[in-house]
Amino acid sequence: MKRFDCLKILAGMIDAKTIVVANVGPISREWNALRPSDANLLQVNLGLCAAVGLGISVSLPGRRVVILDGDGNLLLNLASLADMANQDLKNTLHIVLDNEAYEGGGGLRSATGGKADLSIIARGAGIPESCVVTTLEEFENKTRAALNGAGHHFIVSKVEKGSVANLPTITLDGKEAKYRFARYVESNEGVQILRPRYTHI
Amino acid sequence: MEAAAVQAVVQALKQAGVDFISLLPDSDFSDLQYQVAADKHFTYVPVSNEAIGVGVCAGAYLSGKRPALLVPTSGLLVAAWPLTSICMAWSLPLLMLIPYRGDIGDAFWLMGPYKDTTEPLLKVLNAPYRVVSKREEIAQAIIDAQGSTISWQRPVAVLLTGETIK
Repeated sequence: MKRFDCLKILAGMIDAKTIVVANVGPISREWNALRPSDANLLQVNLGLCAAVGLGISVSLPGRRVVILDGDGNLLLNLASLADMANQDLKNTLHIVLDNEAYEGGGGLRSATGGKADLSIIARGAGIPESCVVTTLEEFENKTRAALNGAGHHFIVSKVEKGSVANLPTITLDGKEAKYRFARYVESNEGVQILRPRYTHI
Repeated sequence: MEAAAVQAVVQALKQAGVDFISLLPDSDFSDLQYQVAADKHFTYVPVSNEAIGVGVCAGAYLSGKRPALLVPTSGLLVAAWPLTSICMAWSLPLLMLIPYRGDIGDAFWLMGPYKDTTEPLLKVLNAPYRVVSKREEIAQAIIDAQGSTISWQRPVAVLLTGETIK
């Protein structure tokens, strides 16, 4: 199963208001090609995709939040799963595109290429809606079911290593991406995020 | 931490507009942590390590919240990576309250190394800070730090020492 094909299915299922937080590397590049949007927060570094997604999910409970994680990214801060579970999230779909490798880091095997099963770990952390999918049909069914209801869903999608050719380059750095995402939230949620001062406090 | 200092911190956080707290339970801040956990004014997200806390606060800030991270000097070292890879790389604010273990006067030998790590690390991480040792200085320090971190778009810390954490 190719990661890009999973993401293509997902892109066809979510609406324009869904916030997507994605792992640094090919996951972000592929997602950006399929669904360029200021509602994306891409290139979230190792160990932090779930944490950043948790902060958004808790703060915007009326929004659907999709986290596109990597196995290596999640493994670095596995405790994120326990911290997420304890928030009883109602708006979160956490997908791990598990290629069992540090693809962006040269391709060596990750712990999920050995004995670790992230879906069991997630269940143990307190996320009962947790599963593994190995075919596109399963991915589509589980993703649709998750998006049709509230709750906190965790899907481990076993994918091949390797990306697709000729993906567009992501031209935003983190700073510009931050401003665009923050302005998007400001204009859609009626909140003020950025507030430069011109006086002493 | 004395009750008066705890109250000063909680009131200052509210006055500064902070409405989201992330923390990992820590002995020096435990009275304060119980207070903010029970106070419905704050969205409360406890974490299992401080690196996760930085990520959580980044997501909260970008969603319209005004987060603060309560982080011990040891946890600041754990948080160094996301403070670099998110806060520095994306230019993100974060108010950090730090009980300054290892400061002069803290005689516990095990805390000694944090005198060597804490302030130099904040400087390396491009995070300005104010050291507060008097209870009456707590409120303004927190209010100033919060206003500065939001305007400057980089982390700012308040280090609590002396009578403020006894």
